[in-house]
Amino acid sequence: MKHALRLLTLGLAFSAASGHLSTAAAQQPVEIQFWTWYLSPKFDPYIKTTIAAFEKANPTIKVKWFDKQATMVQDFIASVNMGGAPDVVNLNIDETAKAAQNGFLRAVDGLTPAATLKTTFYPQTLRNFTIGGKVYGYPWYGSLNEGVLLYNPDLLKKAGVAAPRNMTEMLNMVKAVKDKTGAYAWVPALKDPGGASFLGYFFSDGLPIYDAGGKAAFNSPAHIALLQRYVDLFKGGYLPEDALRKEAFQLATELYAQNKVAMIVGGPQALNRIKDSNPSLYAKTVVTTAPLGRANVQTGTSMGMVIPTASKHPAEAAKLAAFFTNNANQIAFAKIVPIVPTTAAAQNDPYFKKVSADPIAKATSLVGASGRFINPGFKVPGNSDDLYKNFSDNIEAAMLGKKTAAQALNDTVSYWNANMSK
Amino acid sequence: MTRAQRRRPAPARSAFSWRDTLLSYAFLAPALILLTLFTFYPLAYGSYLGFTEYGGARFGQGLPPKWIGLDNFRTLFADPLFLTSLGNSVKYLIVVPVLQLASLAVAVLVNKNLPAMPFFRAAYYVPVVTSISLAAVMWEWVYNKDGTLNWVLGALHLLPGGAVGWLNSEYTAFWAVMLVTFWRGFGYYMVLYLAGLQGIPEELEEAAVLDGASAWQRFWKITVPMMKPTILLCSLLSTIAALRVLEEVLVLTNGGPLNSTYTALMYVYSKAFQGFNFDYGLASAAGLVVAVVALALSVANFRLFRDSSGEGT
Repeated sequence: MKHALRLLTLGLAFSAASGHLSTAAAQQPVEIQFWTWYLSPKFDPYIKTTIAAFEKANPTIKVKWFDKQATMVQDFIASVNMGGAPDVVNLNIDETAKAAQNGFLRAVDGLTPAATLKTTFYPQTLRNFTIGGKVYGYPWYGSLNEGVLLYNPDLLKKAGVAAPRNMTEMLNMVKAVKDKTGAYAWVPALKDPGGASFLGYFFSDGLPIYDAGGKAAFNSPAHIALLQRYVDLFKGGYLPEDALRKEAFQLATELYAQNKVAMIVGGPQALNRIKDSNPSLYAKTVVTTAPLGRANVQTGTSMGMVIPTASKHPAEAAKLAAFFTNNANQIAFAKIVPIVPTTAAAQNDPYFKKVSADPIAKATSLVGASGRFINPGFKVPGNSDDLYKNFSDNIEAAMLGKKTAAQALNDTVSYWNANMSK
Repeated sequence: MTRAQRRRPAPARSAFSWRDTLLSYAFLAPALILLTLFTFYPLAYGSYLGFTEYGGARFGQGLPPKWIGLDNFRTLFADPLFLTSLGNSVKYLIVVPVLQLASLAVAVLVNKNLPAMPFFRAAYYVPVVTSISLAAVMWEWVYNKDGTLNWVLGALHLLPGGAVGWLNSEYTAFWAVMLVTFWRGFGYYMVLYLAGLQGIPEELEEAAVLDGASAWQRFWKITVPMMKPTILLCSLLSTIAALRVLEEVLVLTNGGPLNSTYTALMYVYSKAFQGFNFDYGLASAAGLVVAVVALALSVANFRLFRDSSGEGT
């Protein structure tokens, strides 16, 4: 009896102690790793403040923040290999699709209720991160490719043209601007190293990229005619040669600041560079709505926050990702830098309804509430890097007269359909 | 020699040799360990990966490399982009003799004890220590349609067809990038040749002058033969560097126009580091092909420039 009592006492003592220990373990904060992409040091205060607010609201979660730059993807892969995967990672639409297709990511609609995701974000911004029917990223800050039209009023006056209201007008005035001013009208995105931005022009004109069965189908006579239009302008010297070698945004801002380009179609971020490099031109730059293609839609892209499959704390990671991408925090970010929030509530935010004469403020107001238009215009295909390279090579061959527009698009479509699922 | 004579020195030499050998390895150990970790092991593992399927999808699912024999090599030699890139890299070797001859000739010139020579030696070396991004901006200014090169050629009436976008034409971009490689490597090889020239005994040169040899004869009959070990070294280094050219291409043309500057290392780089679609297997196989070409050319270099006296190589 005595022995049994002793055992009982020991048992009670042990269970009390273990209960105490498990409470202590529950109170021990969980540390999660958070990786952003190219945001430090410029946005350190914003990121740190938002993390502090998150930790205050979630005292059991501690966030360890790293900002990754050029080696983001390599670091991600290496960390997964070494067993120290991050928990929340900031990726763009393209990389999210690639990572998800290769099994690196966890679907987030299993971590946050699908209904919550649907009410928080614009449907299209959520679709941008949907791969194989599952959502793999919380949409974060975005930008619009068309965004706004910025123009140098002196050059347009000299050319005798008014600001274009749509892309048909833009393409029609390209020759007049160059012939009368010596400056290019604008710099289209013909070729870019890691993407296929010219596909966006097809989308803008309401031309399909894929057919109903998901096969590449951008070689109809209408697609060919549109490409031919650009080829003719390029061969005539009406588009800068460098547009085949440099990213359009970088080239456009460089040339605009030197009065060698009359217009920029893009986001307000272009104005930041012009403000620094040519303040007097910045002061007279006019900002207005962007000319759109026949489909009257914008194209654009956004960042997202993803949860790696290898994350050890997916629930906590989902909380952080949802917090950073919520409407209040995206609006707060938009007040620092002219991003386009991907949250549906942003379209009614009074911040984007302010009237201002300053070009950046005006451009921000014009695009800030337009997150519903963020859409690259086409789904990222499987094996995208090889496919994009083939597309760019063919567009280049058409521009340089090595292939006809029809040949270039037919060749690309054949290549895509043969290699898309590899 | 009797058996006793043969045996006698052996124990002493053996004891000394053991200690010496151990000591030598102890001194070599730090470098050997580092080399094993960061060179030999990656080299062996990279070679192994060339015969496997190992890319984004397998990696993402946590699967190990899968042995596929020569499949990667079959894929490579059926890929027109790889063949173009390998062809461009081999064509890039044209820079090697030009670079070697020019840097040897200039090394001979700046080796003279004339005023301002230290300045020239330093000036020629500046491109070697200039960062590639800075060099790219500078060369962009030179090659732009309204850049320095067109301005100079225009002033000399050498551009009948008008200004040329040197980096935008498939006919000129390759040579324009190669000139940047020449510019970057020139000072480096010049310094190596200068070091080699310091090793040539002055008496030889003086004797040749007394014998009435011209400067041209002295260069070909004394300088070049005496410099063979250095020429071999420089030639080897620049051959391998030319085959591995990547930085200039990435910053100036990104392989274009029409893949005319797309080199083999660029192919390797793009396959190995294209985000989550990376293909370590194919990239390693392509790297192995480049390594085999480099090895073959190194053997050719040794045969061509081997010092007939057997010294110095």
